[in-house]
Amino acid sequence: MSGFVSLEDVKKIYRMGEVEIMAAAGIDFQIHKGEFAVVVGPSGAGKTTVLNILGGMDTASEGKVLVDGQDIASYSQKQLTAYRRDDIGFVFQFYNLIPNLTALENVELALQICKDPMDARAVLEEVGLGERLDNFPAQLSGGEQQRVSIARALAKNPKLLLCDEPTGALDYNTGKSILKLLQDTCRNKGMTVILITHNSAIAPMADRVIKIKNGKVADIIENKHPVPVETIEW
Amino acid sequence: MGTKATRKDFYMEIRKSPGRFLSILFIVALGVAFFSGIRSSEPSMRITGDAYLDDSSLMDIKAVSTMGITEDDIAAIEEVEGVWRAEGAYSADFLTNTDEEQYALHVMSLGDEMNMAEVTEGRLPEKVGECLADDRMGYEVGDKIVLLSGTDDPVSDTLKTEELTVVGTGSSACYISLNRGSTTIGTGSINGFLVVPENTFDLDVYTEVYVQVEGAADLTAFTDAYDEKIEAVIDRIEGITDERSEARRQDIIDEANEELEDARTELAEGKAEAEAELADAAQKIADGESQIQEARAEIEDGKKKIADAKSTLNSKQKELDSAKSEYYSGMQQLRNGKAAYEQGLAEFEAGRPEAEAKIQEGEAALAQGREQLDQGWASYYELLDAIKSLEAILEGAGNQPNPEPVEPEQPGEPDPVAPDQSNQEQLETVRAGQNRTGEQTGQPGQSADLQAQLEVLKSQAAAAKQELDAAEQEYSEQNAALEAARQQFQSAKQQLTGTKVMLDANESVLQQAYEQIQSGQSQIDSGWKELKSQETTLLSGEQELEAKTQELEDAKADYEEGKKEAEEEIADGEQKIADAEAELEDLDLPKWYVYDRSTLPELNGYGENADRMRAIGQVFPVIFFLVAALISLTSMTRMVEEQRIEIGTMKALGYSKRAIAGKYLGYALLATVGGSVIGVLIGEKLLPYIIIYAYGIIYPHVTHILVPYNWTYAAIASGAAIACTTVATFGACYRELGAQPAVLMRPPAPKKGKRVFLERIGIIWKHLNFSWKSTIRNLMRYKKRFFMTIFGIGGCMALMIVGFGLRDSIFEIADIQYKELQIYDGSIYLQEDLTEEDKNDLQAFLEKDKDVDRFMDAYMKNVTLTNGKKERATYECVLGTPEEAEQYVHFRDRKTKETYELSDHGVIISEKTAKLLDVKIGDTIYIKDEETGNKEVKIENICENYMGHYIYFTPVYYEEVFGEEPEYNSIFFAVDDSYSKKELEDVGKEILAEDEVLSVSYMHDIEKQLNDMLKSLNLVIVVLIISAGMLAFVVLYNLNNINITERQRELATLKVLGFYDPEVAAYVYRENILLTFIGAAVGVVFGKFLHLFVIQTVEVDAAMFGRTINLPSYIYSLLFTLAFSMIVNGVMFFKLRKIDMVESLKSIE
Repeated sequence: MSGFVSLEDVKKIYRMGEVEIMAAAGIDFQIHKGEFAVVVGPSGAGKTTVLNILGGMDTASEGKVLVDGQDIASYSQKQLTAYRRDDIGFVFQFYNLIPNLTALENVELALQICKDPMDARAVLEEVGLGERLDNFPAQLSGGEQQRVSIARALAKNPKLLLCDEPTGALDYNTGKSILKLLQDTCRNKGMTVILITHNSAIAPMADRVIKIKNGKVADIIENKHPVPVETIEW
Repeated sequence: MGTKATRKDFYMEIRKSPGRFLSILFIVALGVAFFSGIRSSEPSMRITGDAYLDDSSLMDIKAVSTMGITEDDIAAIEEVEGVWRAEGAYSADFLTNTDEEQYALHVMSLGDEMNMAEVTEGRLPEKVGECLADDRMGYEVGDKIVLLSGTDDPVSDTLKTEELTVVGTGSSACYISLNRGSTTIGTGSINGFLVVPENTFDLDVYTEVYVQVEGAADLTAFTDAYDEKIEAVIDRIEGITDERSEARRQDIIDEANEELEDARTELAEGKAEAEAELADAAQKIADGESQIQEARAEIEDGKKKIADAKSTLNSKQKELDSAKSEYYSGMQQLRNGKAAYEQGLAEFEAGRPEAEAKIQEGEAALAQGREQLDQGWASYYELLDAIKSLEAILEGAGNQPNPEPVEPEQPGEPDPVAPDQSNQEQLETVRAGQNRTGEQTGQPGQSADLQAQLEVLKSQAAAAKQELDAAEQEYSEQNAALEAARQQFQSAKQQLTGTKVMLDANESVLQQAYEQIQSGQSQIDSGWKELKSQETTLLSGEQELEAKTQELEDAKADYEEGKKEAEEEIADGEQKIADAEAELEDLDLPKWYVYDRSTLPELNGYGENADRMRAIGQVFPVIFFLVAALISLTSMTRMVEEQRIEIGTMKALGYSKRAIAGKYLGYALLATVGGSVIGVLIGEKLLPYIIIYAYGIIYPHVTHILVPYNWTYAAIASGAAIACTTVATFGACYRELGAQPAVLMRPPAPKKGKRVFLERIGIIWKHLNFSWKSTIRNLMRYKKRFFMTIFGIGGCMALMIVGFGLRDSIFEIADIQYKELQIYDGSIYLQEDLTEEDKNDLQAFLEKDKDVDRFMDAYMKNVTLTNGKKERATYECVLGTPEEAEQYVHFRDRKTKETYELSDHGVIISEKTAKLLDVKIGDTIYIKDEETGNKEVKIENICENYMGHYIYFTPVYYEEVFGEEPEYNSIFFAVDDSYSKKELEDVGKEILAEDEVLSVSYMHDIEKQLNDMLKSLNLVIVVLIISAGMLAFVVLYNLNNINITERQRELATLKVLGFYDPEVAAYVYRENILLTFIGAAVGVVFGKFLHLFVIQTVEVDAAMFGRTINLPSYIYSLLFTLAFSMIVNGVMFFKLRKIDMVESLKSIE
């Protein structure tokens, strides 16, 4: 039971006054290095909690979160920040680009705090935005913005690429192309990608599908033969 | 307001975000407090001042007349419409000397109803000789003050006593501030006042009349309403002054006529008297002359008599002399006689034994002869017997020889008496006789022989007889001879004795004669003496006479002179009377001057200070308020924008626009109204109090500070604050509410990123690090926030710069004034009426004094300059040696620093003076001179000067203007720069020890005084700085708050990207810091202009404040702004840390 990413009985309890809400009620799963994993589940199932914990944006109330052998659950805030900074690439649903920075600058924004960054231009070219380096987010389409966001995450050369509903705000085709980009990245670069979505339709493209329901892992499907994104319809 | 739910939502909104609510409330409170507080400082100052003046029942109007004010005048004034009451009063200025200094004192009578003095210690004066002294003078109860008039007139002309005892100290509303006004005596400035009972003054008429106007006490002093009311009454009083002048003139003329009449009679009397006196004198002179005449005759007579006496004396002397010579010859004779007698006596004595022997011998021989004769006779007889006839003859011869031997024995004892010639001769003869006798007696034997032969010889006998007879004869002869010899001897003896007697008698006669001569001589001598004394008497008499004559001459001359004088005097007197008559003929009407309270020193200044406060209030709080209003409205707008979704939801739920907007309007209203109330309540009490309290340094007696609420300003401030915020809120709500609910609930389109101008400058842009690029873009992106922040920070910075700058400007003036412009160390004030010699002595002393580096004569006097209606009290300063002036006073232009020299063709006046008089270089102004007419002077240059007003002359130009040389009354001096303050004062003390020196003042004292005075503004400045600081803080906090909330998502993203907290903070701070600096830069510019404006409005007339702000002030302001910014950023740091990264995952709102 050893994976690149391993969650062991992770629980997250929010206290709202007298009430305790259990966002994660003991989640266990492992993801191997270089896998394209999809965490899927309905709203309120605990996907985001998982993402937050994995992304170092939140700490688990209980359990272990091992990333590359390190238990980030026991990290301090500072360690967590370092973890986010060095090990994690984050792709947001709403891209979260800095509006008054150009595409290139948005990537550079992430790079300047990074230990071993890639070349921003190269990354942007890789994601297919070689022509739009100097455009502001407002001048880019949603897909392009998401590409910038992905480039920003990739440029950091992270151990783990976390994507929160990356297609959620995109139209179908664009969404598909983004998923393709992610899949390609995973395949070509051996990047471990964890994608969180409520859209179970995209599960076939993943190496591993983790289904979450009511704060618990409902099912883990290992796809021996994931299909290319193009073939998936939803 | 709507439903329970909306109400609940409203309260929850406040509870949820107390920071926002409180920040709006606080900023509004601050803005309103500052605005209404500073603004109401002005009316509060007036009210406080008015209360003070009313408390002491200060007059509204003061009128003086050049010829004094009579009871009738006062009665007439009381009749004037609008006059409530009028009261006559006395006042006069005197000097008094203390050990160190001379003070000028304004002595005024204690009013019954007006101008009450406030007693600080002791009591009010009650009787003549008592006084209440000015608190400022430092007198203590029991001190004695000896007054000097300072002019030629004695103090007793005005006061009944020269010495006053201090029975109390206190203050008077006539002297609201520290200045005591000016005077014409002493140094020209009054140091303090004394209040004395009215009867201390010994004057026929009042010197002034105080008037109070009906209803004026109800009005606030220093306001236009009051001024207008007073103005109207002044006009009316001035309306009757002509009439009063006429009446007074008539009085004076009547009085003068009376006096003239008296003078005329006096003159007439004087004339008569003079004439009488002159006549008397003439009589006396005549008498004197005749007396002298007589005396002269007497003297002549005396002289003649003396001459007579002299000749008599001379003849007597001659007689005496001849008597004397007679006496001497007599004496000689006597002496001779004596000698002869002596000799005779000696001879006699010598001859006596011989003579006696001879006589004896002769007797013997005679006896023998007798015998022989007898024998002869016997023989004869024998013979005779024979011859008897012969015997008869023989008998006859026998008797003769008997007496012979006796006679020569008698003169045996010679007398030592001076021999007499005749006796001598007699003696001689006697002697000779004796001798002869002696010889004769030697041959007696012959007759006896003859006898024997008688008979025979009868013939013989006859012959013998004959012979015998012959012998007898012879014998008888012999005897006779002997007798004769004896007799002779005897007689010789007798003679000698007689001679002796005679000699003795002669001697006694001579003695007598001698005595007589002596007495004669002494008589003559005494005669001479008397004569001499007579002569001296005569001489002295003559001298006396001469003197008398001289005296008489003098008397005559005197008389002439006296006569002339008397005539002149009479003529003079007549002329005077004529003059007086003529003068009376064209006697000017007495001039009335009717003043309002502004005639009191610095009273106007109080109003001006209030005006100045108003001026400050017009700019300062407005800016302050604007910033505050802007912040609160931004906060509210921001709030509305933030709650876009809620608004959309409410709208979607079907709430009316009113209900939705109601929440925000209510929120805004509650915050602003609350803030306004707090602001008004605190601001209108606190700020005016602090400001008036600060002014207490200048107005030490105005202690009862009144700070009523000023509802106008409260309403203006609150209204404006409420309006601003609610209108802004309403505007924001309206904009949001106009949109469809769906749109509202959708996130707003992302703001466009824009290239900024700086990017076009490749060089700079390329070199900027990434963070800065984003920072700059960010700044540009939020333009509203950018300008708001810059305005806010700039405003605060400006306010602080003004605050510090005011300090600079005010405190710097002392430095510039006394270190750069007036660079001497002190002034020596000279005693009055010094002679040239005294002055030279002092000069010599100063020259010798090694400590005194340099000195120069100067003439300082208070004058009033006029230009049209504008007037300005100014120091007239004549520099003794203008060529050395630059060592004492620097004349230069403030801006260009170009230096000027004082020339003989015009004056240099100080900048502020020129400004107040509204004159420029080349203009002509007048020096007010009520006695001899205004003097025209030409302005040649205007010099930088901060303290006081000066008009500088060269001696030459002064003489040209005034027609007389300046009487230097002071000396500027300086010591070496290295001297400490103490050393300087030691030098001063030495100088002061000189008799000619009245006082020594040091520039550093004035500097200190000035600094003390200016401290009052310091507090105001502190208030400004603190307020500005608070504002800066609130502004920064609010803006940052908005900034952070607006960009929460962005910041969360950064966090997710792995930015450490400090890095996230730096990302924000960079913007803040940049904004702070930009704001500060703007603030510097803004502040500079504001400062200039404020300085010009705050400036007091007596001084010109500096126009420059020092670098440290900018630095302080910047540091303060940065510090506030830092504090705010510090607070923000925690807020930033709290930003949840989960925000980044949320959909865009």
